[in-house]
Amino acid sequence: MLWLYLHFPHLVLDHIRRSGEHVSALVIVEGSGQKVVQACPTAKDLGVRDDMRLKTAISLVPELSIIRADQQQEARILEDQARWLYRYAAHIVLVPPNGLLAEIGSLQRLYGGLSAVWRTLEEVLHERQLTAWMGTGHTPLAARLTARNGVGERTSDTARILQTLSKMPLLAAEFDGRTCIRLQRLGLNTLGEVFSLPPKEMARRLSPETLAYIQKIRGSRPDPQAPWQPPHHFRQQADFVQDIEQSQGLLFPLRRMLSELESDLCWRQQDTDCLLLELQHRHTEPTRLRIRTSGPEHRAEPFLSLVSLRLEQQPLKAPVMSLRLIVKRFLGREAPFKQDLLGENQDLNEAWHTLASRLQARLGDNAMKQLSPRADHRPEWAWSASQVRRTNRVTTTATNQLPCRPLWLLQGPQPLTETPKVWFTGPERISGGWWDGQRVHRDYYVAQLDNGQLAWVFRDIREGWFIHGWFG
Amino acid sequence: MSELLNTLMQDARVWQGHKHNKTTQPAEPTGFQALDNQLGGLGWPRGALSECLLDTPGIGELTLLMPLMQRLSQAGKTVFWLNPPHTPYAPALIREGIDLNQIIMIHTEDKGDFLWTLENCLRSPVTGLVMAWPKKLEAREIRRLQLAAEAGSNVCVLFRERHYAEQNSPAALRLELEPDDQQSLKVNVLKRRGSWPGQRCSLAMAHRASLLHHEAPRIVQGPWPTMAR
Repeated sequence: MLWLYLHFPHLVLDHIRRSGEHVSALVIVEGSGQKVVQACPTAKDLGVRDDMRLKTAISLVPELSIIRADQQQEARILEDQARWLYRYAAHIVLVPPNGLLAEIGSLQRLYGGLSAVWRTLEEVLHERQLTAWMGTGHTPLAARLTARNGVGERTSDTARILQTLSKMPLLAAEFDGRTCIRLQRLGLNTLGEVFSLPPKEMARRLSPETLAYIQKIRGSRPDPQAPWQPPHHFRQQADFVQDIEQSQGLLFPLRRMLSELESDLCWRQQDTDCLLLELQHRHTEPTRLRIRTSGPEHRAEPFLSLVSLRLEQQPLKAPVMSLRLIVKRFLGREAPFKQDLLGENQDLNEAWHTLASRLQARLGDNAMKQLSPRADHRPEWAWSASQVRRTNRVTTTATNQLPCRPLWLLQGPQPLTETPKVWFTGPERISGGWWDGQRVHRDYYVAQLDNGQLAWVFRDIREGWFIHGWFG
Repeated sequence: MSELLNTLMQDARVWQGHKHNKTTQPAEPTGFQALDNQLGGLGWPRGALSECLLDTPGIGELTLLMPLMQRLSQAGKTVFWLNPPHTPYAPALIREGIDLNQIIMIHTEDKGDFLWTLENCLRSPVTGLVMAWPKKLEAREIRRLQLAAEAGSNVCVLFRERHYAEQNSPAALRLELEPDDQQSLKVNVLKRRGSWPGQRCSLAMAHRASLLHHEAPRIVQGPWPTMAR
């Protein structure tokens, strides 16, 4: 087995730099806000060092942007990295706070050798603007140690790896503090010297745990690793150094997130029709926006235009600290409808979905209505309006059997204020609704009013005359 | 005649009213032979605005569009009703043979949304017909709609009040609609592309309420003591 370890020396910095505008100098401080944990290259040029006190850093760089380290955030960012790595390797292990382990022995044949795997990953890292130190090893711990110390090589030769490890100083081998001191007192300086100790002696004089650690590095004791499983939903978050006040400013990070969603969906071979955007504010409840497309979609461009439409409609209620994109609903992708040979037939189905989603995004879900008849004798109950659904159900109604009805139905009956000029057909008695309390008992007539309108009028049981529709 | 005009005439570069050029604009027949004849055998122009100017609904204005709506909905084209004044009554539409799957009713809150929606519908290839009931439109807004209509190739009919007949409008076809005593619809062509306006015709619309001309009113005479209110 061959393991590859990816060590991200400043993962949070990389993440923040990706999701936002260019900021001058940026540091991550520890939870209590006393000490700098990571400093970006710009800050380092200005003299800020890791483990420096924050006050010192601020006096060096007054316009320093500060992010507080958050374990949950780090874990989330690490998981984001695992998600893209999963496209290249199957067996992945998360090593919090900033490492990923991948089994690559089985990938060599797929990619055509170790150097091809290495190169592929380097390209991806570069594309994602991530800094990572890579190292290979015949055991997980060997890979980890070489990577974290920046001495990783692209080799699958166990002897060579052991040789590299042997030269490693004790401090770099990540023993716990007490063990390290005891080993140094024994006069040992490199890992190689520890390796050459007889195991029994080591277990007796140090501790069984230390022996197990050494054996796991060398590979003489199994070190099983539980593989990471990718989640069944898509979730991405962009954190901003400075709060974003204009909704236009959200579009840049959104574009990147949506293109990431697109590649994720492509890779899953699935579509989605519902995006959830969560805008986190500093003091108020997060804004949740649900963006629906009317049909399955996976491309970033239509999503982006829908989101920007929605953001135009809905101004931000407070500055935005971070933006989260969640997709939970995945739909199987249908094979795309091909254009005809000459490429002339536009795909009407797709055009329909585009139009409907645009209209719904701007006007709201309820603005578009589709009409359907209902089996009821009472005119106001004989129809219904429903949300638009593109189903090609076939309505087989014998059209001749339907009674004559006006094309316009008034919202509610209007009192008849004049005597109609001419009376035509009638009466047609409609009586019903005793079963649900909406009693209707009317005689309907067709009559023409003075101004030429052809009206559908009725006389109620309570002796009132009303207009209920126009023959438009 | 001035010399300049003479030269222009000789080069045949002056359009003279008596020469009717057959327009080749795409159009949909209205389904009413009499009206088609008055419109030069064309009908509703596609990729342009049409206006129907009328005082009140209920004079047969929808029946005028029924043949077109039937044809388009059965051909799988969508028919949009934008801000209709009343509810299009589904049982009546079915009776007219219209595929309700293709009928979409949209209500907008303000004029900005209205224009935006109309433009989007006009530009989409799924649209066959857009019927819109605008409240009050300025000339430049109609111009904007006209440009959007040209981008697509569907029929767009705006229903406006009759007093707008005096105002000019960039619409390609303008019809003034009036009812008459025989439940027919009098159509007065105010403007059409490629020829002179002023044609009039009367379309029988009595069938919309299943009435026939020659038939006497089939009303059951009853006591009407309280009818006159």
